[in-house]
Amino acid sequence: MRSRARHARSDDGGCDGRADRPASLADAAENSPDASALRSDGGVAGETAITDDYERTRLQRWRDSDFVQSVPFWLPPFLLMGFFVYAAIGWNFLISLTEYSGFGDIDYSTIGLHNYVELVADAGFWAATRNTLVLLVAFTLACLVLGLSLAILLDRKIRFERTFRTIYLLPFALSFIVTAQFWMWMYNFDFGIINGLFGLVGLGPYSWLGSPRLVLGSVIFALMWQFSGYTMVVYLAALRAIPGDQYEAARVDGANTLKLYWRVIIPQLKPATVSASVVLVLFALKAFDFLYAIWGFRPRRGADILATKMVREAFQRQEWAYGASIAIVLFILSLAIIAPYLYQQYTQGNL
Amino acid sequence: MARTTLEHITKVFTDDNANDIVAVDDVSIEIEDGEFLVLVGPSGCGKSTTLRMVAGLETITDGRIRLDDRVINDLPAQDRDIAMVFQSYALYPHMTVRGNMAFGLEESTDLPDEEIDALVTETAEMLGIEGMLDRTPDELSGGQQQRVALGRAIVRDPDVFLMDEPLSNLDAKLRSQMRMELQRLQEGLDTTTIYVTHDQTEAMTMGDRIAVLNDGKLQQVGTPLECYHRPANLFVAGFIGEPSMNMITGTIDGDAFVSDEFTYPISADLAAELEGVFDVTLGIRPEDLELSTEEPEDSRALSMIVDVVEPMGDENVVYLRFDSGDVGIDDDQLVLIATIDGISDIAGIDRVSVRIPEEALHVFSTETGNAIRNRRLEGDVERVV
Repeated sequence: MRSRARHARSDDGGCDGRADRPASLADAAENSPDASALRSDGGVAGETAITDDYERTRLQRWRDSDFVQSVPFWLPPFLLMGFFVYAAIGWNFLISLTEYSGFGDIDYSTIGLHNYVELVADAGFWAATRNTLVLLVAFTLACLVLGLSLAILLDRKIRFERTFRTIYLLPFALSFIVTAQFWMWMYNFDFGIINGLFGLVGLGPYSWLGSPRLVLGSVIFALMWQFSGYTMVVYLAALRAIPGDQYEAARVDGANTLKLYWRVIIPQLKPATVSASVVLVLFALKAFDFLYAIWGFRPRRGADILATKMVREAFQRQEWAYGASIAIVLFILSLAIIAPYLYQQYTQGNL
Repeated sequence: MARTTLEHITKVFTDDNANDIVAVDDVSIEIEDGEFLVLVGPSGCGKSTTLRMVAGLETITDGRIRLDDRVINDLPAQDRDIAMVFQSYALYPHMTVRGNMAFGLEESTDLPDEEIDALVTETAEMLGIEGMLDRTPDELSGGQQQRVALGRAIVRDPDVFLMDEPLSNLDAKLRSQMRMELQRLQEGLDTTTIYVTHDQTEAMTMGDRIAVLNDGKLQQVGTPLECYHRPANLFVAGFIGEPSMNMITGTIDGDAFVSDEFTYPISADLAAELEGVFDVTLGIRPEDLELSTEEPEDSRALSMIVDVVEPMGDENVVYLRFDSGDVGIDDDQLVLIATIDGISDIAGIDRVSVRIPEEALHVFSTETGNAIRNRRLEGDVERVV
């Protein structure tokens, strides 16, 4: 509702802008039935003149409409987006219905859902879907919890707060290729620092990136390390927006520190949680580059997600149509996650 | 309910440059059980800091705060059994009114849910907000939020209510209405209350006693009328009362007070009282100045020019100045303020005789600011109260 009201207001603003020009003022007068009736009563102009006048004003009215006036601003990006994003998605969907593979031209004569039928029967697809969902849920939750804890600790007016903030946020600024590379070294079975540390307490060595049971956890941990700085910054901004008297009121009301955060502060961080979650989830769905940087086309069993499987099917095995169908599934998953968020933002008037 | 005692409490803040700032300096006040004490003073005088030390939101640098016989200096805020109403209300925006009011009971007591709910409903009825229990604070008007903030404190039935300028966000009409309601509630509940305000009207009208603070130091503790009629020093005299008391600096010369503008003869009694002091400041309340259009008949009357008249309806506030030739605004020029009956028509009159009755005079030492002599009243102030 609120957003609609705002739209209406901005429309008014547009009208005000145009009202400066005498032409549209005249339009306004002529558009009203009373005005034209007055004119014919007065007999100032003949019948045909009135029709001509009316034609002209309709053209002018069309030219002066908000729609036409705003075309130069939205049409170029609309066409660019339409062609390179939405047309590409449409074309991708079309390819997913064919049997296109290897080199050669696409044969659009045999259109059908056979690729999707094949997907349902493919155990590798289900494993990749399961891994994608596990990665998505575990990674998002871990980042939120860790980011929130760091933000709460940093918000307690500690010394060197800015320095800590920069240190925690820094990994987020690094390329995934870089972080993947050095996590690969840290996870190294023989020389890695992780196994070195576990060795100190008499555990391991573990094959962090080799064992199907550990590999997904290792990846999630590395990604969490990189992304929790981001959630921390989002939460820190939200915490700063909560007035200090909320804490004081809760204290005077008898709440201990745990209850204070759990019942008064954290519930007020809900908008920050939602927006951080959307970013994290969308990233988790596409955590391709990180995995590709570690293993190339063939991740360990247990770490294959839809994105890596898609790229492998398409670019390694040249099963273009099959890869395209995985892409569509990934697209629908992303859409399913972002659509409720966008809708909620829309109803709250933030879009 | 409890007697609250502040014993020599001091608060020192240290700023970024390691300079000490004394916010509250050796303040001692004893607040009786069920008493309504108003802490009043200009902004930055340390009144809020004092309140926050009682609440446990600020540490106490020195001194002791006691509730009955237990010293609560080191008790964290959540264990003090006090309730506080904040200037901004500090309602929890994500909870309903019911949630806001129940929160304190849920956190500070072991009462079962039904009992808490009954208490909340009962308190809401007392405040006339029972119809809003399921709304969230952003759906309430400022006045309603204020009631919820009060309800949140009242439902706790604490030892002490602390109120930090709770009415300052309301418009003038609502403020005077809530002022009356708060007094009625406090009388009914009979809970010890410490109320902080910068508004001397609130201080005068609401408090059983007023504690006037300035620069972190306690200036005077007394009933509103004591503070009004027997101010302990220049600060209290100037702060309490609207419009402020007129202050005239000068010297005592034998049996006369001499200022730049006029000489005022003093009686033998007063001269005896002022024996040995030289630099004094005379204080006289605006309502005690006697204005007349006749020529000054004795030497205690001054001939002055009417500068500005502010009609307030019930009274006229008259700004008077001496005939010094130039009409321009001059800060050094002595201006006396008098209030006279609102009916009297003073328009068109530009010269009046102003009589300063000696029995209404306050005399302060200019050097220390302390009162040497307060005005005489028929009967003692205590009896007037």
